[in-house]
Amino acid sequence: MKRNYAGCAICDSTWGDVWAEVEGERMFFCCDLCLVQFRGLCERIKRETGWATIESLEITGDRRGRTCRASTGSRTFDCRVAFNPQGEIRRFEKAAPARQ
Amino acid sequence: MTKCPACLASFATADYVTLAGHLTERAGESDPRHVRWLNQNLTRKKTEPEALVPGLRRVYDIGTGSVKTWIQGKFIAKFFGTQPHPFVVALQHPTRATLRGYVVEHQHFLRQWVRSCAFVMARTDQPKVILYELDNLNTEFGGYGPGRVSHYELLLRMGESLGMDRSRVLATPPLPSTRDAIAEWNEIARREPWVSVLAAMHSLELIANRDLVHQGASLRYFDPAILEGSEITDAAKNFLREGYEADVGHSDEALDLVTEFSAEAGTREDVQSTFLRSIDLFDDYLLARLERADRLEA
Repeated sequence: MKRNYAGCAICDSTWGDVWAEVEGERMFFCCDLCLVQFRGLCERIKRETGWATIESLEITGDRRGRTCRASTGSRTFDCRVAFNPQGEIRRFEKAAPARQ
Repeated sequence: MTKCPACLASFATADYVTLAGHLTERAGESDPRHVRWLNQNLTRKKTEPEALVPGLRRVYDIGTGSVKTWIQGKFIAKFFGTQPHPFVVALQHPTRATLRGYVVEHQHFLRQWVRSCAFVMARTDQPKVILYELDNLNTEFGGYGPGRVSHYELLLRMGESLGMDRSRVLATPPLPSTRDAIAEWNEIARREPWVSVLAAMHSLELIANRDLVHQGASLRYFDPAILEGSEITDAAKNFLREGYEADVGHSDEALDLVTEFSAEAGTREDVQSTFLRSIDLFDDYLLARLERADRLEA
């Protein structure tokens, strides 16, 4: 999966040392909470779009709320997401319908 | 004593080198609290401990002000800065669900409030601190008779005005964020010096301090216009108005006491670290109110 962050897949932090497989790829996370967030985010995007895989995921924003653009093939999906302190999705809003 | 603002481990006063080593070590172990504190307060880039020391000095530096103005500044930046806390945004013109979520989680908070303030009273040797806490506890929890009921009672009446049965509200367990925050505030109250507990708890009353807009806050706790008209119930107006009127005095007086009794550098840094941990817990707890609102709305 192509990502815009070189550090932690959800927040770009380079602290920590959590490595886990997500979407068939070994990824770096600063802590277990970010791993829970990222897995939940990927699952939610796939559920909303019906996609089997996410080829790229760009994330901006911070803990107050993140804006995401997921792509696969020529299709893109924009959303806004916020998590609770346990890393579960608290708010999820589609920013635009998935384009075929 | 300097304490870690993420876990309250103790270090010698102003020993930012050892504190930086502790933070990098625990963050290196991927501990979420320490990673979070570094990410939000110093840097998201992993660095050597010595590179963090100037930043730590800046965090704890009260400049030409007092510990009171330092606490106010940090509080404003966290909850009323360029990105206000989502609960504050939601409370500007609250939905019915937002107020209902407030009721369910906040009754747990207020019950812990009593315990925390009682610990301060039990452990201080300062009569004016005891008198302050007695007045605060009566306003928040005990009340002054039928003509002037407590904030706790006003909260439950707000719930009833929104169709919530009081016994069901009281029987509803807190969400994990509320539960965890309360457990840690209780530990802080039991374990930390009473001046630090005073700061950790009463600084939180700044949330409803309407005067913060004169010190840089981007907005108030709620839009005061909702106290007029019919946007919210009368009971909700009574509850919000009580905090709006009481918390200026509560937070100001408490922070004056904190300043007076934390003049020594070691005590001051203890206060500062405990306050920093407390506002992280408060941030999570305010999110629990929104999460409860979302669940009630669903």
